[in-house]
Amino acid sequence: MFYSVVLLSIFGILNLFLGFLKSRAWLLPVTLLFLATALVVTLTDWNKSLFFWNYMMSTDNVSVAFATIIIVSAMLILPLSRFYFPNAAAPVPEYYAILLFSVVGAILMVTYENIIMLFLGLETLSIAMYILAGSDKRNPRSHEAALKYFLMGAFATGILLFGVAMLYGATGTFNLSGLAQYVRTTLVNGASPMLYLGLTLVLIGILFKLSVAPFHFWTPDVYDGTPTLFTAFMATVVKTAGFAALYKILSVSFTGIYSVWWITLAATSVLTLLIGNITAVYQQSFKRMLAYSSISHAGYLLIAVTAMGQTSQSSILFYSLAYTLATITSFAVLILVNENRAGESFSAFNGLARHNPFLAFALTVAMCSLAGIPLTGGFFGKFYIFINALEKGLLFLLVVAVLMSAVGIYYYFRVVIAMYMRGSDDNAVADRIIVPKSYAAVLAITTFLTILLGVAPDLLVRYF
Amino acid sequence: MQSGELSAFGTILLFIIGGILFFGVAMLTARLLRPHRPNAEKLSSYECGEEVAGSAWGPFNVRYYIVALVFILFDVELAFLFPWAVVFGDHKLDVASGGLWSWYALAEMFIFVAILALGLSYAWVKGHLDWVRPQTRPSDWQSKVPAQLYDRVNEKYKSSR
Repeated sequence: MFYSVVLLSIFGILNLFLGFLKSRAWLLPVTLLFLATALVVTLTDWNKSLFFWNYMMSTDNVSVAFATIIIVSAMLILPLSRFYFPNAAAPVPEYYAILLFSVVGAILMVTYENIIMLFLGLETLSIAMYILAGSDKRNPRSHEAALKYFLMGAFATGILLFGVAMLYGATGTFNLSGLAQYVRTTLVNGASPMLYLGLTLVLIGILFKLSVAPFHFWTPDVYDGTPTLFTAFMATVVKTAGFAALYKILSVSFTGIYSVWWITLAATSVLTLLIGNITAVYQQSFKRMLAYSSISHAGYLLIAVTAMGQTSQSSILFYSLAYTLATITSFAVLILVNENRAGESFSAFNGLARHNPFLAFALTVAMCSLAGIPLTGGFFGKFYIFINALEKGLLFLLVVAVLMSAVGIYYYFRVVIAMYMRGSDDNAVADRIIVPKSYAAVLAITTFLTILLGVAPDLLVRYF
Repeated sequence: MQSGELSAFGTILLFIIGGILFFGVAMLTARLLRPHRPNAEKLSSYECGEEVAGSAWGPFNVRYYIVALVFILFDVELAFLFPWAVVFGDHKLDVASGGLWSWYALAEMFIFVAILALGLSYAWVKGHLDWVRPQTRPSDWQSKVPAQLYDRVNEKYKSSR
């Protein structure tokens, strides 16, 4: 993990300078090669448990697995950029460099051992995302997204940092193990209220970035305005890294005061599920629906964090992977449909199955996975999380989650119905979408993996 | 920490209080001692005679921000050089490592400066350091008044200037 962080940073700088070459043809393959190198280097840390950089970072199998998900999702999203920038003057090398830097931030967020590194990773990731949100310079909605994301994100960062300061004030350490030791010893002596205040503020800061319910209001506008390619990145990488970070700080340091924070997380997850799913029903735009769906999935993942136990980290891992794959598929199809049919609403998908059966099939699998229909990865993701909740005895959470997944089926299947049962209204829409090879490859991989996870979840789960 | 002894944060608090006191006492003394005779000229922003035109909140050329960002590059570099300079010449560390410490620290700082220099060279190649002046294009409008008429007028009033 040490080398992948260093390598990716160097690769990012290299990418900036690759942009000075005359030809842009090598840019995408080289960037994919960079990510593949980082992936291989990351995987060499498998089954090693070590600290590096003066106990600032630590790796174990879980962090390696999360880093793998992050790098793989970046590798799946990058090929979608192939025909995404029709403008020859678009600073594509800079976008790639920023994406690589944001992957560095995400890896820092899953391997941190010191809260300072968590902050550093979160900021590296967020600042890169602020830039990418506003990258469509001619589009006022992109400006709106960047400004909203930046202001909200900066605010959340301030709250997080304030919480970190409080934790330091209470415990005198930034280290996760140091915090854990303080929590263990103070259970006897009575903890300082600053600890609870600090933990709450840190939780708020992280939950803000994860768009969990009381702090979700920036999400739809930001996801909507950001160029779709980068929305896909935002919805997958940021969420995976954020949940890994949240789980790590709570499981390593604060299991001792579980009775204090679980009720907060349980309440926010119920709120998130309700708001995310019910608001998604009313959306007319597929992209906004996906934004609300990402809120609701944050709610499901939060259940796994709340029901902290032996298997919850493997459930979070599995759910993140299934969610990531399905989300990348949906955004890839959305990019194609939006470019060829000029619309992000559900009606833009009308009659897609007749002209592009492959696209329609891939999107249907993705929707089934997001809704949690069996034989897709999303089913087992939800299944494992519900088992966690059941083992912990969080029945009311389980009831809300099951009810809300039933609501989810309604809005996820609207697009499936549009594709298969509605004919296209006008002739212009009836044109067949030509799927570029890079898109076809990404869609084939994500669809295959989604079904594979749904048929044989044991392939992944047995490692954790 | 023993009671009655200052912790590191106590020193910082004293420093902050000292700073506020120093500033406050200086301002207060000046206020008590100085004569108070304001006039319109004195209260203007630039007493040297520059007329204030409009608000300062107008839009600026975006190039100023790029220059500011390039400045930050050097600013950050300098901010990190100071703490480095303190540990660079640490005699104890140098002796303990058999003279290797200084070389190590020097190499580290060169790597850091090299990365920042890469950033500067990137901005340079991108052309962010070129301040393009607006090109003044001479007008192609032909005057019906012959040029020597102007010369004659200039000649005529030269002596009276």
